[in-house]
Amino acid sequence: MKNAAGELTVTGVNHSYGTGKIKVPVLFDINLHISKGEFVALCGSSGSGKSTLLNLLAGLTKPDEGSVMVSGEEISRYSENELCLFRRKSMGFIFQSYNLLPNLTALENVELPLIFAGESVRKRRARAQEILEHVGLTGRLDHKPNELSGGQQQRVSIARALVNQPSIILADEPTGNLDSKTEQEILTLMRQMNKENKTTFIIVTHEQEVAEQSDRVIYLQDGRVVQKRTRPA
Amino acid sequence: MKVMDSFRIVWRNLWRMKLRTALTSVGVMIGTAAIVAMIALSLGLKENAVKSLENFGNLTEMDVEPMYYIPEEDRVIPDDERKKLNFEAVQELKKIPGIAAVMPVKRLQEQAKLKVGRREGYVELIGVDVNESAAYRKNDVEKGTYLSGSPQEVVIAYDVPREMRDVEKEKREARRSNVDARKNGPSAMPPPDMGGGAPTALNLVDKAATIVLSREYRVDDEPKYEKKEMRVRVVGQLQKSDNQRYSTAVYVPISVVKELNDWVNRGRGDEMAEGSTRRTREEAKQDHFEFDQLTVKVESREKVESVVKALKEKGYEVWSPARELETINKFFFVIQLVLGGIAAISLLVATIGIVNTMIMSILERTKEIGIMKVIGATVLNIRWLFLMESGFIGLIGGLTGLGLAWGAVEVVNYFGSAGGLMDNLNMGYGRGAEGEAAAKLAVIPGWLALFAIGFSFVIGLLAGIFPAIRASRLSALQAIRSE
Repeated sequence: MKNAAGELTVTGVNHSYGTGKIKVPVLFDINLHISKGEFVALCGSSGSGKSTLLNLLAGLTKPDEGSVMVSGEEISRYSENELCLFRRKSMGFIFQSYNLLPNLTALENVELPLIFAGESVRKRRARAQEILEHVGLTGRLDHKPNELSGGQQQRVSIARALVNQPSIILADEPTGNLDSKTEQEILTLMRQMNKENKTTFIIVTHEQEVAEQSDRVIYLQDGRVVQKRTRPA
Repeated sequence: MKVMDSFRIVWRNLWRMKLRTALTSVGVMIGTAAIVAMIALSLGLKENAVKSLENFGNLTEMDVEPMYYIPEEDRVIPDDERKKLNFEAVQELKKIPGIAAVMPVKRLQEQAKLKVGRREGYVELIGVDVNESAAYRKNDVEKGTYLSGSPQEVVIAYDVPREMRDVEKEKREARRSNVDARKNGPSAMPPPDMGGGAPTALNLVDKAATIVLSREYRVDDEPKYEKKEMRVRVVGQLQKSDNQRYSTAVYVPISVVKELNDWVNRGRGDEMAEGSTRRTREEAKQDHFEFDQLTVKVESREKVESVVKALKEKGYEVWSPARELETINKFFFVIQLVLGGIAAISLLVATIGIVNTMIMSILERTKEIGIMKVIGATVLNIRWLFLMESGFIGLIGGLTGLGLAWGAVEVVNYFGSAGGLMDNLNMGYGRGAEGEAAAKLAVIPGWLALFAIGFSFVIGLLAGIFPAIRASRLSALQAIRSE
């Protein structure tokens, strides 16, 4: 089955951690399809395997069995370097702890993916500036992460994820470190980006608010998909 | 990733941990400085040794003679096996690679007198091959031009005008001073002109001159004298040379000397042979004509050694200070090896220091590496960044080390020349010609500076290989999770 850009298909994935004799199974027979432009929440209790599934989708982990197709490419077979290049052009990441480089300013952090992509100084600066202003950080461009609030840092991180114009954004507990007001702001921003650019969002969360505002919620329990709920239109 | 961008990132990372960068670089700095200073010192000493050789004459010019004795075989070469300095020899020498010119020389067997106006002086008439020598001797001409090939032209050595005296005037003055001495007593006698000749040298260039020579021969055991005069024109004067051998030389085309030698020899023991057999004798002479000396001009000082070797293999003896070059080169090569080797150990220690620093910084930046990988840095990007970082540490050390070595060399040279250390090291040959730049104890030539910088950079790169590979192998996932 061939996927278009922004689509994800997981077929028959089994995965376990550990090497040698002691293996801890984490995922059992996962089958999923996520369409382009969907805003999906991945929910489940601690240890249910949701983060592992996200890592499989990102190509950060390779499944023991089964295939992961992202934007028409079977990334489960890619080499490390191919994965790097693939992530560079089609994926953006948002983390719970923001993961900004502490010695770079907001603008430089957002520029970084474009630097690795070999973009010229003038172009990448303009693009980074544009997107930072778009996420509401006008006037904060030259601040270092420690000079920004949690919400602002997460905005920088969203801007960084979007700067390459990827078709898919993977977010791991993006609002986990934020208060509820900021959480709502960030959520709204992500939804806005999702609508504007038709970017697929897959968000690992255990916050009810996030799940409620998603197009679809995928529940995981003990490594199995137990429920897929589509938000009533 | 663009190269300039990567340099910017690398520089930022180095700057972020300034102290560690500086301390690691200090290791490389000391190593580089030690190597550069050691090599500079041995180069300087070698330069001095070569310079003191040059006081004996130009090293790229050497006089070639047939070999008489082979020291390795302890054997004297018999007459018939010995090389002859004839036209064939000239051709043979010209074929040796590195030899730019072969300049044959034939001397006049008698002393000759050079007269210009009322002044005259004894000179040594030296015949040279104008075509062969023109290219090199032209540079030695101080005034006027070099020989063009005409038999009426001569070029004089620097000291020739200074050696010429006005004989008539001196005689007159001697007579007068004798009279004065008788009148005023010995105390008032003016000091005799010990220098002999005019106090200021007169300019002989472009003046007409006469070469006078005489020969002695016997007829019926009675000595007879004959005089010959030759009108010439002084076309040029050579610059001052350190070589005393040629201080009163007057250079003429070789054919002139040949002719004059024939004239001098005529009637010496073979005066009876004149007549019917004379023709064939002259022809025989032509065939067996030998030069007194062949001067070989080598293309450059670097080729001197190989030329000397080739000449010896062909059965020639070389009379030049250049013979010592080989020994000097060998000696200083060993010195450089020993000194450089000692210094290299400190550089090795510095290299291990770089490896250590890089591994430490990878541990510290594990998370950062993970983030970079996730947001699109390839394995090669990461390797490149860390390689460059470690290369730059080496480069910084190399540049500062070069600066340190340069300072040390300046200090050594300052105290070396002030303390007269140079004179002691000059192997007792004395200083060179006046006006020559003061000899230096140590020198850092351009190639050494470039080598030091390049070498320290490469050392840094090598030290970075292992850490860079390690960094690129970090799992992005684990790296991101690490705090």
